[in-house]
Amino acid sequence: MEAFIVFFTRYLPAFADGFLITTWVAALAAPTAMIWALVLIIPRLARWKWLTRLVDGYVEIMRNSPLLVQMYLLYFGLPLLGIFWSSIVCGVIAIALQHGAFLSEILRSGIQSLSQRQWEAGSAIGLRRSAVIRLVILPQAFIRVLPALGNQLIVLVKDTSLVSAIGVMDLTLTGKVTIERSGASFEAFIAVAMFYLVLTTVLGLALRVVEVRAARRYG
Amino acid sequence: MKSILLSRGRALVAAALFAVGAAGAGHAQEASRLDEILSRGKLIVGVSSESPPFGFIDENSELVGFDIDIARLVAKATFGDETKVEFVRQSAAQRWPNAQNGTVDFGAQTTTIYADRAQQVAFTRSYIDGGVVMVVRNDSPFQTLADFNKADVTIANLTTPTQEERAKRLFPEAQIATFDGIAAQFNAVKLGRATGAQLDGPVAAWYVKQNPDMRVIEERLTDVVNTGLFMKPGDFRLWRYLDLVVDEMTGGYLFADYSRIYEKWFGTKPLNTKWYLNQPQK
Repeated sequence: MEAFIVFFTRYLPAFADGFLITTWVAALAAPTAMIWALVLIIPRLARWKWLTRLVDGYVEIMRNSPLLVQMYLLYFGLPLLGIFWSSIVCGVIAIALQHGAFLSEILRSGIQSLSQRQWEAGSAIGLRRSAVIRLVILPQAFIRVLPALGNQLIVLVKDTSLVSAIGVMDLTLTGKVTIERSGASFEAFIAVAMFYLVLTTVLGLALRVVEVRAARRYG
Repeated sequence: MKSILLSRGRALVAAALFAVGAAGAGHAQEASRLDEILSRGKLIVGVSSESPPFGFIDENSELVGFDIDIARLVAKATFGDETKVEFVRQSAAQRWPNAQNGTVDFGAQTTTIYADRAQQVAFTRSYIDGGVVMVVRNDSPFQTLADFNKADVTIANLTTPTQEERAKRLFPEAQIATFDGIAAQFNAVKLGRATGAQLDGPVAAWYVKQNPDMRVIEERLTDVVNTGLFMKPGDFRLWRYLDLVVDEMTGGYLFADYSRIYEKWFGTKPLNTKWYLNQPQK
């Protein structure tokens, strides 16, 4: 334990830098993924048949291939097309592309779980379809799927560790560098895990607050 | 009935005497993993399987490389048979716990000796010098190391600490990108993500041979680093034994074998650490 504290204090500045980078990647990727998810359900809500099928195909490809491979494709593949996005940008986009697909599936399940009568009631009081979606369907669907959305966001935060493979000096890569430097693999991974735990716990608490408030307001 | 009791009593006494004797022997000779290795009849060695030409899988799916042959040479010195060795493939990060918890007797994994690491594992003396070179694309205009000290240059590093320190010292103006594998580091340069990658001389020679569109900058990044076998600390006899074998390889009776292995993988003969013995007397 004492050895761990010595190790921890010695490498704390490096871990703090890594923690900031990981937080930054997550803070960029999570909203991007959420917005992308909302874009992805538009064709279904608007009943654009062909576009809906296209989105279904996209979701299948995204959730059936590993995020790491997608990240490699963006980072090492795009330069062949003359596109040189930075490693952080490639990482954030890869995360948003895959997690957007998962999040849109969650939203879809929420929308489908609502009774058909909600749609009918909306149009019965004279709302147009777009207004029914905006005022009746989406708010209710959101509340139903909040726990699932929260889960997915926590998975997203943990998946940011994959950006270490394309050279982003995040928590995970900081851990690997620290291991190379010290040979103390156990201590380093414990420290890395602790920082991730801090991040996901804070996120989890925030999500719980949102859930409780939403339930109080609409439930 | 009585005789059984008596013999039980005798057995107890004998066991107690034996325990005392064994404890006495323990004082005379420290228990060591070396005894375990000798009675087991083979070595268990941790190696890399993804660091050509030190330890990698060849086109016949065989584990080969300089470190593999060095481990076989230790087996030959120990048992007179270079096949008496079992290899455990481990990643760079895995090598430390595997040595510390005794999964392997020792590691032979192009492991550079640093003070930080020597606090966690016990190193033998160096069995091969390491030196670092810069790899660039063939179409790169860069010829000398001075060309790399510019703000629009990105140096691809491995996660090792010396690479980071060296890059910051030699190229303070340049950007740094860090990768956790040599292949990713190399590809970053090949695909134009980075301008140059710091690689170990032998590793760079190997990769450039496989990729004719890449070349090595002639000017070396000068640092010499030492590479040791490493093991769980605190086992004096095993550590002393392996250190002695390494000493014999690099400048003793095992040098002929060592020299053959070295030439097989690097194409040149190594310098005997006792090279001065062949110098003419003044």
